[in-house]
Amino acid sequence: MILEWLARYLENRLPRSDSWSLTQSSIYILPTRAGWAFAATLVVMLLASINYQLNLGYALTFLLCGVGLSGMVLTHANLRGLTLRVRSPAPVFADEPAAMDVVLDNTGRERSGIGLGVHRTGSTGMAWVDVAAQASATARLSFVTGRRGRHVLPTIQAETVFPLGLFRAWTVWRPASEVLVYPRPERPAQALPLPTPVAGGTRSSRAGGGVEFEGVRAYRRGDPLRQIVWKKLARSNEMVSRDASTGASQQLWLQLPAALADDPEAQLSRLVAWVLAADRQGLDYGLRLPGQELPCGSGESHKRAALQALACWPEGNSR
Amino acid sequence: MKRYALPAPSGWTHLPREARDTLFQLAVVAWTILPHTAHLAPWCTALAAVLLVWRGWLALTNAAMPGRAAVIAVLAVAIGLTLITERTLLGKEAGVSMLVVLLALKMMEVRGRRDALVVFFLGFFLTLTQCLYSQSLLIALSMAGSAWGLLTAQVLASMPVGKPSLARAAGISARTALLGLPLMAALFLLFPRIGPLWGLPQDAVGRTGLSGTLRMGSVADLANDDAIAFRIRFDDAVPAASSLYFRGPVLSIFDGQEWRSSPPSPAARSAPELRPQGTGIGYEMILEPIRLSLLPLLEATPPHADGLPMLPGWGSTLDAQLRWQTDRIIAERVQLRARAWPRFEHGPLAQDDELTANTLLPSGGNPRAVQWAGALRSQPRLAVASADVLAAELMRHIRTEQFSYTLTPGSYGRDAVDEFWFDRRQGFCEHFAVSFVVMMRAMGVPARVVSGYQGAESPDADGWRVVRQSNAHAWAEYWAAGHGWRRADPTAAVAPERVSASRSLVPPAGLMAGALHSMNPELADELRRLWERMDNRWNQWVMGYSRTRQFDLLQSLGVETPSWRDLLVLLLSMLSALALIGAAWAWLDKRRIDPWVRLHARVRASLDKLGIPTQSHDSPRTLAYRLRHQLGAPAEPLAQLLDSLDRLRYGPGGQAVPGPEWTRQYDAALAALRRQAQASPR
Repeated sequence: MILEWLARYLENRLPRSDSWSLTQSSIYILPTRAGWAFAATLVVMLLASINYQLNLGYALTFLLCGVGLSGMVLTHANLRGLTLRVRSPAPVFADEPAAMDVVLDNTGRERSGIGLGVHRTGSTGMAWVDVAAQASATARLSFVTGRRGRHVLPTIQAETVFPLGLFRAWTVWRPASEVLVYPRPERPAQALPLPTPVAGGTRSSRAGGGVEFEGVRAYRRGDPLRQIVWKKLARSNEMVSRDASTGASQQLWLQLPAALADDPEAQLSRLVAWVLAADRQGLDYGLRLPGQELPCGSGESHKRAALQALACWPEGNSR
Repeated sequence: MKRYALPAPSGWTHLPREARDTLFQLAVVAWTILPHTAHLAPWCTALAAVLLVWRGWLALTNAAMPGRAAVIAVLAVAIGLTLITERTLLGKEAGVSMLVVLLALKMMEVRGRRDALVVFFLGFFLTLTQCLYSQSLLIALSMAGSAWGLLTAQVLASMPVGKPSLARAAGISARTALLGLPLMAALFLLFPRIGPLWGLPQDAVGRTGLSGTLRMGSVADLANDDAIAFRIRFDDAVPAASSLYFRGPVLSIFDGQEWRSSPPSPAARSAPELRPQGTGIGYEMILEPIRLSLLPLLEATPPHADGLPMLPGWGSTLDAQLRWQTDRIIAERVQLRARAWPRFEHGPLAQDDELTANTLLPSGGNPRAVQWAGALRSQPRLAVASADVLAAELMRHIRTEQFSYTLTPGSYGRDAVDEFWFDRRQGFCEHFAVSFVVMMRAMGVPARVVSGYQGAESPDADGWRVVRQSNAHAWAEYWAAGHGWRRADPTAAVAPERVSASRSLVPPAGLMAGALHSMNPELADELRRLWERMDNRWNQWVMGYSRTRQFDLLQSLGVETPSWRDLLVLLLSMLSALALIGAAWAWLDKRRIDPWVRLHARVRASLDKLGIPTQSHDSPRTLAYRLRHQLGAPAEPLAQLLDSLDRLRYGPGGQAVPGPEWTRQYDAALAALRRQAQASPR
């Protein structure tokens, strides 16, 4: 209990930084269980050598002493001089594993058997890399995100037992980068609410397509496949798309569903599912949250803005 | 039909990593077990071989490992077999057998590199046990090989990524070991050599050679142990090989089965009555750890002012039976100088109680022999004969009757002397010596068995002569009034070559050595001598390193009265120095900056002064571009220099840091630019 508290206290004292140079002062080293067993073996071997007066036994025991000690130095040197940096991970949905790429820059000799993992998750999920001399290597770490919002990356641990497994050298690094976690989309997704007709353009509306096509224009990269006029393509070998821009007269405004008023997180989850559905269907949609409004729009960046607003609500999405 | 996909013979490098690592481990384990096969029970060697081959097959075919039950069953069988062959689980032999079996069985549970650790530790133990049997140069090399292999397996285990080559892992382990060598040397030289912490286990006593007891007929097959007992070098005159008797335990108490040394009585501790004749021969001796508390010195070596066998820190005394007793077991290599008188007489001149005890025979034992001796003694011509005449008569009998010398006489029963003297007439030195002594005692003459070594090989280039455990010998002594104890060697009557040729009867076997010997005996002998000379040097300088030598080392370093405290102080100060060097190196290493980084920082600082914004990730070319852009033509020389720096850094062909020439040009161009800027302020 106290140890746990102490460990957390020490961890929180570590500065957050975007890159982490491994020097004498940031590397810890202790014998592993194998190291203790090795020491015990050496003691027994020394006792046997003394009792049977075996000079060759002394030689072997002392050779192994020397090997153990130089192993300690080499284990430490295997980490010393490396620089760790992290590439900001892509946003993820809550409860999904996020992946971050940790880059190890090596300006020195070749390094072997370096394990990277999220601190305090044990060594099973470690990613093991070798770093060639004067080179970089990347290890992809995945971690499970909790709540929605902006989170600093979890504390990262790099360790090695190379070359003999008798000592374990490790470092603990708190990256300063953040990961954006969207609310978990509701599953199964509820049907989208009806689009609100805009003044001047009342038409029959229907779910599904939700858009009326009013003309054609030349194909632009990124047009959805179903907007392409395939018949025209077959006849004249010319790519044209149906122009849906005028369909913007139908706007879908998404807001916190009243049905789930007692559970704000569930409301957000449903909104996320709707945003995803609306984006899939290529609708124009806007987002209205109490005290915050995202104008109608479509496309990848609009979707991201919407998801980000949902992730950070109600603190605002100014960051 | 099940088909196994065996890799092609050249498939070592194509094996999956797990299989390759396992096979490598198996090879290391086999190499570690190999030197033990000489003294392991055959079942143990066979079991280990079967297990290792089986494991190798499983690795090659990637088949499932046997279950835990099978492993435990094999272990139980092995324990049973050990109990049967060794009658214990605790002794040295039993321990080594169990260690071998455990190591082989552990391989059946180990999956590749994952839990190689147990194998690692067991392997080092097994390696250490090799020097319980021999500490020769050959064994040292074999142990070094084992240690290297085990370390390499361990290195492989800590390289989880990809498939590192064996050569690379071996290189890493060798480098680790080389880095540790200074520490090893310091510890080896300075670690205080202290005596055994507790009594040596009984089984530490050598199997062959000398021992304190002798049981005639119990040894059916005399193991011809080629191990070296000691080496001797004579100062000048070399006595005849037939007179080289090295005296060991004297066995004078006979209970019908077993001969034992007399317990140390006040009389036995008294000074010997030794009467040397003629001139003495000085000699030097290097004694292997024979694990007896006596020195097998050349007969007769008296305590002598200039040639006292010197064992610094040890007590050694010559007792009444002419044995050199030491106050501790010789468990390390001992070097000594002494002087011997090959012609001598010793023992009391007149009959006393001690002598009478040497005529005792257990009643009822060997009835035919006693009767025969009585009949011989009562012959008229021998009725009043002296002990010398009786001894000569016995020797004549041995020579003329069909006695033969053999190393494999088979075992003898209860009345061994009867059986030997009348029925079988086959045996080796101890049969002849014991029978001779029993016959002498039956005739009322004090007699006793002396064991020791006899003979020596011809000298090597350094003049050292080797005496092997196979030179172990037993002879007899009888007491003659007016002279004292006299040596009689009945074996010489049967196999004179055993005594005079100074060569063990059976040449050392060994397939290679044997083949070479039959093709080119001279070369074989030469090679053997060369090897033994190297071995001898190894023994003298490395294995013979003892407390005495440690103190010599301290004295040569200026310590006048060395003690183990000085050793510890020196050792600890060396270790501290080593640690300080390490700390200093780490301190320097922390401050060591990549020369490119340093140069870049310098360039940036100078450009900052010129008012050009720079960033840490700007390449020299970017800086040159910015320089041209902001300062125009006047900055051209500087910009060109930066371009050349860029080519050096990122161009093909090495990344050599520019030399002082570049720095000088750069400084000059910079100064010129500054002057220009000052002359025409913008």
